[in-house]
Amino acid sequence: MSNYYNMPKLPTEASPKVEIFVDDKAVMVPGDTNLLEALKAVGIETPHVCYHPYLPVSGNCRQCLVEQEGPRGRMLVISCYTPVTPGMKIYTPASSARVKNARKATQEFMLVNHPLDCPICDKAGECTLQENYMECGQNESRLRPEYGKNYHGNPAHQFVDAKGQVRGGKHVDLGPRVLLDEERCVQCDRCVRFMRSIAGSEQLQLAGRADHTYITTFPGEKLDHEYDLCVTDVCPVGAMTAKYFRFQKRVWLLSHTPTVSMDDSLGANIWLDHADGRIYRVMPRCNPEVNRSWLSNTSRLAFQEFDKNRLPSMELHKVTFGNGKIAIVAGGTCTMEDLAAMKMLKESLGDRAELFGGSLLKVTAPDGIAKSGDPCANRAGMKLMGFADVSELLKRASEFETLFTVNANLFGEDANAAKVLEKINTRVALTPFDDETAKKASIAIGVRHWSEVQGTMVNSLNIVQKLSACPVCPDEGLKAPYAVVAFLAGEKLESAADAFKKVTEYVPAFAGLSYDTIKSTGKLLEGGNA
Amino acid sequence: MRVIKQRPMNWIERLYIFEAIRGLWTTLKHAARGLFRYETLPTISYPEGQPEIRNTYRAKHRLMLRPDGTPRCVACGMCAAACPAHCIFIEATQSDDPRIEKRVMRFDIDHLTCVFCGLCVEACPVDALRMDTKVISFEHRTREEFVSHLFDLTNWDPKDYPNDPQSQVAPGGTKNAEALKVWGMEVK
Ligand code: SF4
Ligand code: SF4
Ligand code: SF4
Ligand code: SF4
Ligand code: FES
Repeated sequence: MSNYYNMPKLPTEASPKVEIFVDDKAVMVPGDTNLLEALKAVGIETPHVCYHPYLPVSGNCRQCLVEQEGPRGRMLVISCYTPVTPGMKIYTPASSARVKNARKATQEFMLVNHPLDCPICDKAGECTLQENYMECGQNESRLRPEYGKNYHGNPAHQFVDAKGQVRGGKHVDLGPRVLLDEERCVQCDRCVRFMRSIAGSEQLQLAGRADHTYITTFPGEKLDHEYDLCVTDVCPVGAMTAKYFRFQKRVWLLSHTPTVSMDDSLGANIWLDHADGRIYRVMPRCNPEVNRSWLSNTSRLAFQEFDKNRLPSMELHKVTFGNGKIAIVAGGTCTMEDLAAMKMLKESLGDRAELFGGSLLKVTAPDGIAKSGDPCANRAGMKLMGFADVSELLKRASEFETLFTVNANLFGEDANAAKVLEKINTRVALTPFDDETAKKASIAIGVRHWSEVQGTMVNSLNIVQKLSACPVCPDEGLKAPYAVVAFLAGEKLESAADAFKKVTEYVPAFAGLSYDTIKSTGKLLEGGNA
Repeated sequence: MRVIKQRPMNWIERLYIFEAIRGLWTTLKHAARGLFRYETLPTISYPEGQPEIRNTYRAKHRLMLRPDGTPRCVACGMCAAACPAHCIFIEATQSDDPRIEKRVMRFDIDHLTCVFCGLCVEACPVDALRMDTKVISFEHRTREEFVSHLFDLTNWDPKDYPNDPQSQVAPGGTKNAEALKVWGMEVK
């Protein structure tokens, strides 16, 4: 069982390089990490099951064995919990038959009572056991068919299947969002460690001993936590399955779009997994600086609303903005490109237009996992662009004659604010959804949702992160907000790249950046003041 | 590489007229045989005459059934993954039987696109899909009707497959009662 504090140290760019000998060849590896990460840094992958870079090391699966030269000769050690020391001599399967056999044996043991479930298993295609089997297993079956497989999970969930075989625990309901399959569980205890050390609420436990260990919750309690769907990610096999994605799609049919979750100012990095023009699931995209491998349920399940209640596309006409003062309000999901276009609009209208940005939703404290608590995702970007906060607008609402909102559902967010803002006569709303603000608007123009546009945002850590367009837009005629705003400003932004050029002109901290120079994990800004 | 050397034509052949008459004679012979000794022709006159089809012939698909009449298909999508013509469309859902996790909700094969390669049958891990129906002609009025749905694919009679034990397990088959007992549902 793992203890609490042995978080793996991951190599960084600043790691000191030390020389070790792998298969009698000298290589330079990061010196402040474990052997598994060090070997990975030089391109040697070690199969592993229980090790996860952002969970405390537990060392219970023994899949990651390598040989190390020690005072008593060559010994098998687990690479996930062996620190790198200068001059150590390591042997991998490339030179050592013993390592190869040991890994193969471990793999065989792991599969002895594992069900032959891959055809119906939601993890198939991205399963660690399958990968390990291809890499270091591939044994001849030594199973005696007359004995079959044994079921070693919770005895209460046992049943006899149609072929007379003892099976069990196929869909144990752990909580509102997660189902457990006890037969597939390999007792790696990653889920337990996640709930204990990351979520900070120890809702899962290993019960029983040895071969009969199984995962369970405390009696009468359920797995119910804002981050509980992360256990389905950390689970290396198909034991933990998310109810919302269960049997929806085979994973190899999904395409993946890397983007950033725009419902929180931390901007958790995500994959939008889509097929047939709709999003099927959202997975965390590992970013060591931002959300590591975690994603809150709110961000993960938000996609279910993305294609509902949408405004249709329409032909754009030039809007005349009257003579009075105009408030241009950016919502939290506006990208930097949208903000640049709004600034262009302000410039075309002159001094009577003012820029505001933000959200009326409550800002809460960061949870330290994958949320900063601020629902206005691009707040830092708005500061860089010089947008005033919306609270300012509420104070001075009576000065304005036109309210121009982009992705900002001000009327839906706060009923009191709605009363104040209703006094502004002309209301133009650019929004993907037919929300309260669109309903109250004199003109509502449908635009693309943030999941369907390319762009950038600045998160609460002052990191510029890239959004990519996922090809799931319900109406191909819809345009990105920046394109519509630029059109209303009498200018033309053909692509997100054009809009980004404008951003680099407006924001000194962005100077010299382009989509190509921002890495997939983002770029930390130097001169920002967020 | 095999090189075939043509024998040069002799002068009678090169005269053309005798060869042409010989060709006409062959045609006439077969025409006369069709008129007077029809049975001896090596071809069959389809569609009045039907060819003999073996059960190994790759004909229209069918989905095998469990003793309780549900499709054996577990909706794994292996057949769709193997299909070179991309003509199988599957949707899965949770099974009502607690012992079975996944069941098929939609199973469509577009027989207009299908190339009858049989790879789907090979791919199926649970022997749910077969192509032994001996149905080789597909005639419909609209394109949509060429798409076989779950009902169509599971709607077959065990009596048509007397020698196949797996087919006899399905409802109506000779082994059904026995299989249902093992399946866990008593027959009354
Ligand atoms: S977890 Fe699922 S996909 Fe992985 S080996 Fe087990 S049954 Fe197959
Ligand atoms: S449920 Fe998954 S993560 Fe948890 S112990 Fe079992 S295999 Fe590991
Ligand atoms: S026979 Fe070949 S083409 Fe037809 S459905 Fe099967 S795999 Fe596809
Ligand atoms: S391969 Fe067999 S079990 Fe899987 S979906 Fe196709 S017919 Fe069903
Ligand atoms: S990964 Fe090293 S023991 Fe499990």
